[in-house]
Amino acid sequence: MGDLGINLPGLITQIISFVILFVILSKVLYKPLVAMLDQRAEKITAGLEAAERAKEEAAKSEESIQEQLQEARTEGQKLVTQARETADRFREEEMAKVKEELDAERARAESNIQRERDAAIEELRKEFAGLAITAAEKVVKTSLDEEGHRALIEGVLNDEGARNN
Amino acid sequence: MSKILGNPRSLAILLICIAVAAASVLGGALGSAFGLGFFASSLPAIQLPAEKVTDGFDTPIGKWDVMNTMITTWLAMLVLILISVKIRSNLNEVPGRLQALFEVIVEFFLGLCEQIAGKEHARRFFPLVFTIFIFIVVANWMGILPGFGTVGRIAGPEEIAHHHDVHDYHDPALADSEHKTAESKMEKHAKHHSDSHGGDHGAHLDSVKLHIFTDYQSMPIAALSPASLNEEVTFAEYGEKHGDVGVGKRAGHLVPFLRSANTDLNMSLAIAIVAMVMVHFWGLSILGILGHIGKFINFKAGPIGFFVGLLEIIGEVGRVISFTFRLFGNIFAGEVLLMAMAFLLPFIGILPFLGLELFVGLIQAFVFSMLTLVFAAMASVSHDGGDHH
Repeated sequence: MGDLGINLPGLITQIISFVILFVILSKVLYKPLVAMLDQRAEKITAGLEAAERAKEEAAKSEESIQEQLQEARTEGQKLVTQARETADRFREEEMAKVKEELDAERARAESNIQRERDAAIEELRKEFAGLAITAAEKVVKTSLDEEGHRALIEGVLNDEGARNN
Repeated sequence: MSKILGNPRSLAILLICIAVAAASVLGGALGSAFGLGFFASSLPAIQLPAEKVTDGFDTPIGKWDVMNTMITTWLAMLVLILISVKIRSNLNEVPGRLQALFEVIVEFFLGLCEQIAGKEHARRFFPLVFTIFIFIVVANWMGILPGFGTVGRIAGPEEIAHHHDVHDYHDPALADSEHKTAESKMEKHAKHHSDSHGGDHGAHLDSVKLHIFTDYQSMPIAALSPASLNEEVTFAEYGEKHGDVGVGKRAGHLVPFLRSANTDLNMSLAIAIVAMVMVHFWGLSILGILGHIGKFINFKAGPIGFFVGLLEIIGEVGRVISFTFRLFGNIFAGEVLLMAMAFLLPFIGILPFLGLELFVGLIQAFVFSMLTLVFAAMASVSHDGGDHH
């Protein structure tokens, strides 16, 4: 052993030196460094997860926006159709109303005309009766013969009829 | 080629490279065969045990000296602790450069731990596995820095003789200077003559070589300098010269102040022991005392099971030994290779091998830590559980 250079005091010195180094490096270097590495790994994992989550959320919100947009579009479409329908109905109603009014107006006008005509005929008749009476008086005042009588009446009636028609 | 020759700067670089290569080949040990070798230095005395830098103190278990590998170990520790403190003080969610570098390495090893030992035990095994890796890498890479193995103090002849189990050798140079008084001088002369030439120990010591260094006003610091190839004497010659190797010079061996930590078996054995102790501690705490010990002392499966248990015990001891010698062998061989290349081809010969040593240092650290992890993963799985499935 001596020839190889192995001696107990030297060996023990080197063992102690190595153990001291081991302890110091463990305390000073490895513990904080490994803790730091772990911490960083954790941080990176958390960051990646957060990014993944954010991505998912963005996709989800995009989807919901799309959905809402679709909904709004359908809603709009429906509103437009409804409005058009309402407008059509309103127009038809108005048209019907106007037509009715027109009809009523015409009917009223026609009835007015009728009434006026009736009134005119009535008046004419009254006037004619008066005329007949007047003629009759005249006839009576003058001498009445059969022939003259008839010619007179005939003449009055013809005059009246020509005037009326 | 013409493009390179046409550009004056490229041409100058090319010429310098050629000049360095020529100087290296001619000035190195190869050139010294032809009487050149002006850059060659002595191949340093390579020895397996770590060298003593200064004397320590006596302990009940032997003498504790400050070894050069211990100093390197402490330097590597210091570097690692300083880096850790720096990272710790600037620890931030958004990492700086140093923190990012360590995060990459730590992440890599955490991933390996999770792969091999499972998520359950990965955090438990990681600190030791990573400490083994980072310490061995830093220690190995420090070992090939300039100054490691080449700058140190000079060990005198007496110390060298001591290493060769000759404990009563007396340096004639010291004897001459210290005992100038006439009555002791003759006596000492006679003594060291008989010591250095006399029969009982001289035979194997006489052929041992001593290097001669310039003495900086008796400051025992030296470097392996170029152009010192021929300045060697053997113990026999040293004795004949009565220790006189020239004015202002000193004979001895270079004892580097710094030597790659893992070229000392104490260091690699220490890491192996810590690793295996922790592996068995984990085995005990995960499987329980009976579950873990039952792997080694097994009465349930009959005589064959018992024998297998004994083989397991031998295997555990074998792991410690293979851990120790794999790391030590690779790094020590690398150091010797670098020394030899610096000796053979100064300047250029060492370059590819520096790269190789960087690679080997990294691979050995990785192998050591991975084997620790695998053993820990194996120790945390009970044998019975494996059989039932």
